[in-house]
Amino acid sequence: MLFRNKFARYALQSTVALAALTGSALGPAVAADQAPITIVINQSPWFAGFQAVVEKYEEETGNTVELDVNPFAGSLEKQRTAVRSDESPFDLVIMNAGFFTEFYTGGFLDPLNAIDPDFKLSDDIYTFDDSVCWDADAGRITCKSGELMSVPVNPNILILHYRSDLYQEHNLTVPKTWDELLENAKVLKSKNMYGISQRGQRGAFDVTYDVFPYIWAYGGGIIDQQDDGSYRISINSPETQAGMEMYLKLAEEVGHPSTAGQTQTNVIQNMATGRAAHIDSVLAPGLFDNPDKSAVVGKIDYAAPPGSAEHDFATPLGHWLAGVPKNVPDANKKAALAFLTWFQTDEAQRAYAEAGSAPVSRAVLTSEMADTQEYRWMKALADALPNARLTFTIPEASQLLAVTELRFNQAIGEEMPLNEALNTAAAEIAKVLEDAGYKYQKLDDLN
Amino acid sequence: MSADRFWRYATLLPAILLFVALTILPLANLFALSFNDVEWLNRTPVWNWVGISNYLELPEDNLLRAGLLNTVIFAVAAVALQMLIGFVLALLTTQITRGRSFYRTIFILPILVPGIIIGAIWKLMYSYDFGVLNQILDAFGISALDWLGSPNLALLSVIIVDVWHWTPFCFLLLLAGLESLPDDIFEAARIDGATGWQILRDITLPLMMPAIIVTFVFRMILAFKVFDEIYLLTGGGPGTATEVISFTIYRRFFTEDQSGYGAAMSIAVIAIIAAMIIIATRATAGRGSKT
Repeated sequence: MLFRNKFARYALQSTVALAALTGSALGPAVAADQAPITIVINQSPWFAGFQAVVEKYEEETGNTVELDVNPFAGSLEKQRTAVRSDESPFDLVIMNAGFFTEFYTGGFLDPLNAIDPDFKLSDDIYTFDDSVCWDADAGRITCKSGELMSVPVNPNILILHYRSDLYQEHNLTVPKTWDELLENAKVLKSKNMYGISQRGQRGAFDVTYDVFPYIWAYGGGIIDQQDDGSYRISINSPETQAGMEMYLKLAEEVGHPSTAGQTQTNVIQNMATGRAAHIDSVLAPGLFDNPDKSAVVGKIDYAAPPGSAEHDFATPLGHWLAGVPKNVPDANKKAALAFLTWFQTDEAQRAYAEAGSAPVSRAVLTSEMADTQEYRWMKALADALPNARLTFTIPEASQLLAVTELRFNQAIGEEMPLNEALNTAAAEIAKVLEDAGYKYQKLDDLN
Repeated sequence: MSADRFWRYATLLPAILLFVALTILPLANLFALSFNDVEWLNRTPVWNWVGISNYLELPEDNLLRAGLLNTVIFAVAAVALQMLIGFVLALLTTQITRGRSFYRTIFILPILVPGIIIGAIWKLMYSYDFGVLNQILDAFGISALDWLGSPNLALLSVIIVDVWHWTPFCFLLLLAGLESLPDDIFEAARIDGATGWQILRDITLPLMMPAIIVTFVFRMILAFKVFDEIYLLTGGGPGTATEVISFTIYRRFFTEDQSGYGAAMSIAVIAIIAAMIIIATRATAGRGSKT
């Protein structure tokens, strides 16, 4: 006999009945019409919002979506392994702006219209410098001649976060240039507060990403593609040097004493705990206005990053794109596309924002939501997006980043003088381009 | 071939096949890869023969150079401290007559903690703004230290974590060695009037030498392969201050996707570790025969 006493039998029966009731109450209202899919994604400040939207999709459609969540670098490695295998365990790969090109050039993704000829990117969805399209014949990122390869899922760019309460108290105006920000930061710096907290740690795409607004504001860069398709290495240009000098000046005069060791988590933590007056960071609005996680609820406001007296501001695209690997069954490809179709809807994009993440829909970013206190960050994002630029567009981006992450970090940590770090980086970038067979132009070394 | 000899080889065959399949073949594949560069075209890996150029580039690799130097400093400093502390703790534990198992459990606790938790614990403790270490310094009026962000301090900070984590390993092996030593020799020495220091220097240490060498070699090999503590605490930075070989290989092979070059680097490191094992095995064998 299975049950040796009445109690055990009743307990089991009650549990089964309760589970059935709970299941019927909480389960999806409609039956699934698509195959279950798995999405490989990174753990970022915006992940909670994406997770909430996925749950909403499951609830509304009855379809099942599993999320495979990883750290930034780990996610890239998992994606590479998956798309190179016989059959990918992931039906959607969420690729970062720094690395998506290698997935396009390697032929790992299906053009979305090859899966469904009627699939369309909504007019409301940003294309982020055409990064959603790839012209395989020309080997270029362009929507003029290229095919639609991916759908943006997050508009990560750097946005200036500042303490609006302290700005009001000290009668400060929102800075338009880094010099103005320095002056404001000097006013706000105190024993318990850094004027600014900057990310300076070396990682996969960490310090390089965060120095772009400085070097672009002074007309510099790292590598720039020319009209003839060749590249100009600009990391050791006087303009890049000027941008980095401003970064270092802020770090030294009003920044964190350990800028070279600061991660994105540290920077956001410094803002959330009230230890920093400014950060130039990706958005995490759900965090700063959450009283359980923030000491500065309602005290943070947002603006486009500063520029310089000579140049308008520019902010690097660190957005995320969802692509469908070639090596998944057709039913899963269709299911992945069904999710992406739903994800682009106004309803989904609004839910995404309500869950604390930035949407990729222009219509939502400029809707009445942006006028409310809760979604005040939307205006800054919409203002900054037109000046957002792609950073690296060659498949060897990870090798370039290995160079720049190290050399910028060494300059910030005073392990190497700035000019030497930039000259060394230029030589190392030239070698990467040379080995990969690109035509390039290198500047003379900085003195 | 006699039947006896035939059966001797036949019974060894499964083990040899397993060894070939699990060790020799992957190594051979890695070795072959090290003479190629791999690029992916239309989902197909294309191996381009580059001869020994990947090996020739190794001495020019600044990360590898920094990684080698830091690994040697890390391994020697961390293992020396672990051996010293582990031996002292083991000696003290043998002197305890009551509650020995309690102390033994306490001493080995750090080795039971998963690496990811160790990373989280120490990252919090080392935090410049919120870490308990800087709070203690602050209580004594000392300025906060940039434990993980300063090029001068970061490697030392990682060594401290490694000592905390791995000293129990040395403690356990050395304690087992001490407990296996014959009591009668020590008793005779005491009757002859030997002091504690004389017993330690002239009896305990020589008798313990095989156990000390084996422990030292094990730890050196493991220290040479350190990865998780660096990955979790510093990511190899600031600059190249905590770059170690395993992390360099990880970067080149996986993050940068340079599989051919990463393979060459891996083969070079395997050769270094194999040389260490051979030297250590010979040294241990010599000591073993003397005792």
